[in-house]
Amino acid sequence: MHEKSLVQSLLTQVEQLRVQNDATSVHRVTVEIGPLSGVEPDLVQSAFNELAPEQFDAPLVLDIRLIRMQIRCRSCRHVAAVEGITLKCPECGSSKVQIIRGDEFRLIDVSMQVPV
Amino acid sequence: MNTATKVITVDRDVLSDRKQRAAELRRTFAQRGTLVVNLVSSPGAGKTSLLEATAKHWNGARSMAVLVGDLATERDAERLRPFVPVQQLTTGGACHLELSLVEKGLALLPDDDFEFLFIENIGNLVCPASHDLAEHLRVAVLSTTEGDDKPGKYPKMFRTSDALVISKTDLLPHVPFSVAAAVKDARLIQPCLQAFEVCALTGDGVDAWCGYLEAFRSERLQTFAETEATQ
Repeated sequence: MHEKSLVQSLLTQVEQLRVQNDATSVHRVTVEIGPLSGVEPDLVQSAFNELAPEQFDAPLVLDIRLIRMQIRCRSCRHVAAVEGITLKCPECGSSKVQIIRGDEFRLIDVSMQVPV
Repeated sequence: MNTATKVITVDRDVLSDRKQRAAELRRTFAQRGTLVVNLVSSPGAGKTSLLEATAKHWNGARSMAVLVGDLATERDAERLRPFVPVQQLTTGGACHLELSLVEKGLALLPDDDFEFLFIENIGNLVCPASHDLAEHLRVAVLSTTEGDDKPGKYPKMFRTSDALVISKTDLLPHVPFSVAAAVKDARLIQPCLQAFEVCALTGDGVDAWCGYLEAFRSERLQTFAETEATQ
């Protein structure tokens, strides 16, 4: 269970952005979770529900986007979205593939209230 | 004060700061000639026994140090202390080692340019897979009593490893474990995985394992010293 530690890092980054932008409040945090990230979306949500109110006054919404895995074949350079744990190029069948998307937990954007 | 809603685009890995720090440390170690090996496995797979066998095999001919992680006790450090400099890391309840804890442990080891630094991770095939400890090599240890179906069940651990050590091979006549099946399953996920069969108790296979580490250090470590400290 390392989601709590990851959510803590996420909230620290959100707080830094709030300060940098002189925001009066933060509304929404959007993240992207890949199937190979080792991060469980439900656990991220519950850790967020527990930790966010300790750090932010206004209600903060976490928007989780689940993305598909994408690979690039090292043999034929084909790029494809794949499912499952067996990584294989659907074009040439080679298993020498590089994961280009799907193994990360990314902070996409943060919506906040700023002075004008 | 008038305010407006603004969306700040970030689009970066939540762990990018930690990954950056790990990349910098990895390069520093390479420049000092130290190969860092992160040993991962389930509890009781034989990581400490493998390190004991490694230390005995080299018998001082190669310099090595160990950082060993557990939730509690100094037991693993005590086992290794007669052979090599070792520092125990205790996590309290945490199920994996993080770089910050490794850095604290490093400060307590002698400040020598060891040829090899082994980090024995917490016994757990899940969470340690997601944490870069500045290693040059990640090695998964899988014992013959655990079953040959583990790689597919814990794919991230095996996908992120460079080598697989199958341990407790002296038990192979007594347990339903196929080395070929385990290696095949792991290579479906990580085709470049190097595989070794080792029995720490009898010393079988320790020679090949140590030879692999020595060759990797002499042939590949320099490339890590020259790479940019970014990922």
